[in-house]
Amino acid sequence: MTLPTTEKILLEAQNVAKWFTTQDQRLELFHDLNLKVLEGETLAIVGRSGAGKSTLLSLLAGLDQPSAGNILLAGRSLAEMDDATRAELRAKQISFIFQSFHLLPELTALDNVRLALEIQDCKDAIAQADRWLGKVGLGQRTDHFPAQLSGGEQQRVAIARAFATRPSLLFADEPTGNLDEETGHQIIEQLFDLNKQENTTLILITHDSELAARCQRCVSLHAGQLHEKVYESA
Amino acid sequence: MKGFKLIVLRQLGSQLRTAEWRALLFATWIAIALATLLALLGDRLERGLLRESAAMLGADLILSSQRPINTERIEQAKTSDLQVSEVVQFPSMINIDEEMMLVSVRAATSPYPLRGEIRTRPEQPHSQPQAGEVWVESRILSQLELSIGDQITLGYSEFKVTAEMLSSPDRGSGLRSFSPQLVMHQDDLEATGILAPGSRAEFRLLMAGDSDRVEALELAWRDNLGDEERLFSLQADQPMTGAALGSALSYLKLTALIALLLSALTIFLSLRRFSNGQHKRCALLLSLGLNSKDLVKLYLYQLIIAWLVLSVLGTLTGVLLEQLILSWLKDLLPEALPSPILWRYFSGPAMGFALLILLGLPPILQLSKISVASLFRDEIVGGDKRALMIQLFCFGLLAATLLAFLGAPLAALTLLILILVGGAVFGWIAQKLLRLLAYPLAKKLLLGRLLTMRLEQQKRWHRLQAGVVILLMTLLSLVWISRTDLLADWQTQIPDDTPNYFVINIQPWQTEPLQDFLTENSIVSQLYPMVRGRVTTLNGSSIHAQMSPQQLEHNTLNRELNLSWSDTPPSHNNVIAGRWWVHDTTEAEISVEREMAEILGLVPGDILGFNLGGIEVEARISNLREVEWTSFQPNFYVIFNAAALEQMPATFITSFRLSESEQALASQLVREFPSLTLIDIGQLLQQIAGWLERLGDSSALILGLTMLCGALLMLLTLHQALEQRRYESALLQTLGATAQQTQRLDLLELLLLGFVCGLLAVITAELTLALLYLNLLNLQASLHPTMWILLPLASTLFFVISGFLLRRRLTLSQCYRLLRSA
Repeated sequence: MTLPTTEKILLEAQNVAKWFTTQDQRLELFHDLNLKVLEGETLAIVGRSGAGKSTLLSLLAGLDQPSAGNILLAGRSLAEMDDATRAELRAKQISFIFQSFHLLPELTALDNVRLALEIQDCKDAIAQADRWLGKVGLGQRTDHFPAQLSGGEQQRVAIARAFATRPSLLFADEPTGNLDEETGHQIIEQLFDLNKQENTTLILITHDSELAARCQRCVSLHAGQLHEKVYESA
Repeated sequence: MKGFKLIVLRQLGSQLRTAEWRALLFATWIAIALATLLALLGDRLERGLLRESAAMLGADLILSSQRPINTERIEQAKTSDLQVSEVVQFPSMINIDEEMMLVSVRAATSPYPLRGEIRTRPEQPHSQPQAGEVWVESRILSQLELSIGDQITLGYSEFKVTAEMLSSPDRGSGLRSFSPQLVMHQDDLEATGILAPGSRAEFRLLMAGDSDRVEALELAWRDNLGDEERLFSLQADQPMTGAALGSALSYLKLTALIALLLSALTIFLSLRRFSNGQHKRCALLLSLGLNSKDLVKLYLYQLIIAWLVLSVLGTLTGVLLEQLILSWLKDLLPEALPSPILWRYFSGPAMGFALLILLGLPPILQLSKISVASLFRDEIVGGDKRALMIQLFCFGLLAATLLAFLGAPLAALTLLILILVGGAVFGWIAQKLLRLLAYPLAKKLLLGRLLTMRLEQQKRWHRLQAGVVILLMTLLSLVWISRTDLLADWQTQIPDDTPNYFVINIQPWQTEPLQDFLTENSIVSQLYPMVRGRVTTLNGSSIHAQMSPQQLEHNTLNRELNLSWSDTPPSHNNVIAGRWWVHDTTEAEISVEREMAEILGLVPGDILGFNLGGIEVEARISNLREVEWTSFQPNFYVIFNAAALEQMPATFITSFRLSESEQALASQLVREFPSLTLIDIGQLLQQIAGWLERLGDSSALILGLTMLCGALLMLLTLHQALEQRRYESALLQTLGATAQQTQRLDLLELLLLGFVCGLLAVITAELTLALLYLNLLNLQASLHPTMWILLPLASTLFFVISGFLLRRRLTLSQCYRLLRSA
């Protein structure tokens, strides 16, 4: 397993709990959950369906609030930030890659990447978007709409969009879940390559143990707690 | 089977929670209610009118003339073994104490009427009033606060009111048929002293008998009718009231057509959206063991149950609306309308069936094509040729049903095409204008590019929305303006000194005392002599030989004209060609109205020949005049020099203005000159305003329903569009946009769309009104500033508020869940 490049903590969950209250019941998803993610680290979160992986991801990304505990990003508490600050954070520091790609169908590949840059108020959004599409091997397909691209190509556009804003933290939720094995492999290669080049912190949610093993660290979410998991080979 | 029924019922219950199913039900409800309303109202009015027209004529055949009926004609009818009755109808004032009222008097010989009956309250032993009696309509009773048994004065005679007329045949044609009616016996007429030679009266010969003999006489007379004679028969002629009601009915029907179309469109869109939302459910039911046939049955049952429930609700609503409209129109309608035919009550449900089931069948058949595999992968249900054919067939059937239903297929088809083309053009213009406004704005916004891209991507949706909204708002503003401002606009354009009273039937020996009366009371007026005559020759040859059929149909050639004479041009006319004659010229000269001269191709120097009650007169055209027909001054197509006509028997006409404080003079004048006919223009205008208002109320009700259909359609499509944007908003928010930014983007788009629709609606309404003013009413077109503010504002607010209410705000955690589930 490769060690993190720095020892600086980028993201930290402190005694985090999340529960949902139904009519007369409290359903606790996790309690006293602690996690530290170092800058540049690649972390896989694995677990059974329904264990709460996606909920944990939305908490870590500041998309949802924990019922108790605190989440710090670069030392700043997400709970204490207002909506505008959190939006700015997502625009400049956090990116997502989804299982279902989520490209806007009415925009071309270039415009999909460009949109993320424009939200950041980037001055040379077109050039940047073009460059990133080139990096993921879609330099010739910039004018194509999502419907004209294969699943693998759509996910590459999504990867370009995610990296184009130069985030410090990237969340990938089952990025190969909708792809065949071979395309999935290619996408993962590209994801890890770019992650290495950009020195981005990557938090990956997956069922795929092979994919999880490629990360520097792997934690398993089980019964509301995180357990470190060690793979024999990366 | 029991289980299947349970599935149907459970599905019905659960789908009541979905917006598209609710919209579908609501639109069908409105469509059924409107169709019921139209079927009941149309049927009752049409049958009522047919019955009325037979009863209204009061005979099988009527010969009408401006002069007393030729005795030869009467003899001819009698020798044909036909029953005859002679009627004279004329306007006159009746008074009781200080109160007076303009009525249409009918004096008839016995027996009268020959067909139908005069229905009275209390019932009378005779079919017509006896000597010394009059029967009057309820409007006379209520306006003069009369009771049965009271005395009224008509001319020099007193009469006893012995009955109220509930309905009566032979009301006459033209304006007189609208006036409150009074019937008396012709034996009493002479004593009243009202009628004199040249009085404005209509003489009618009513005939009834064996239909072959009537037909033979009609045929024999049709070809040799005198210039002043007209023949009315049951088949060929509709009374004036019938035509007016017919127009009102067409107006209501056309407004309802728009509402039905909007309902159909709403139902179609809701069905499409409903069926799109059923794909996963269908796949699931198939995976659980249901076969395609069961699936079709399941949805058909669902639609049929909905149709049955809505048929009851919609029919009840339609009946209620019909009663409401009938109560609004009761003054315009024949007294007793026939009861509706039973099967007409099923028209609404039939229309509902056509809309719901026919439109619903193609998407349901498409649902049966869904495969279970769509549960595992995204699958688009491909376009099925058979479904497309069925859909086209259903559309054709539906269009045919709609057109047949409205009774006037050609008018409905024309309107349908106009609406579709108009809607498409408006939609297209609106979308272009929207782009024009949005592009500069987008440059200044963070998500501006997304706005412009959205305009591009949503252009079909924008066109549909804009087309419907602009049409509806234009229609609304036209009805609104015609109801409130049209008459007011007309009245404000009339100068303050415009006469509000006309006096006709002034006999030569009355001119001097009348002039004295007017001068004593400081009333400014001028008396114009009037002789009735018909144009017969041009430059010595018959006009029939020289004029084209179109020219011969002109108003001045197909009837007797009121001719006048004067040695000076009327102050309100301008001579535009030629010269006015010198004061004491002895040669016969005439001045002709400009439009008449233009259409008939007359120029100064031409010689026109006239037949004045059997006397032939020829006169040279010395000049052409421009006449302001809306000046409320006596106006004439042809004016002679005095020497040419002053020996002819004539009556005189004048007009003058009485201010509010001088109204008592009108009563005084009628008292002093009982044989004159005083026409109160103000009252006529008030009557017209009353009619406009009642028709406006009825159309406003249907328009209200139309607007409701339109609003429903808008809300449905808006809801659909906003739902699609939830996904887009969720993604934008995960990319770093704030919830406010995405909300602003949505609302800005709707604000621009609303503004553009309002602006185009106001322009269209103003242009239509200007056309109406200039061409139909001969008025100066004027702008309506309130409309320029209200329409864009209302339209913008409608879109923004609906968008604001319909748009569900996404929290960040919802964004992520939405993206994961997509």
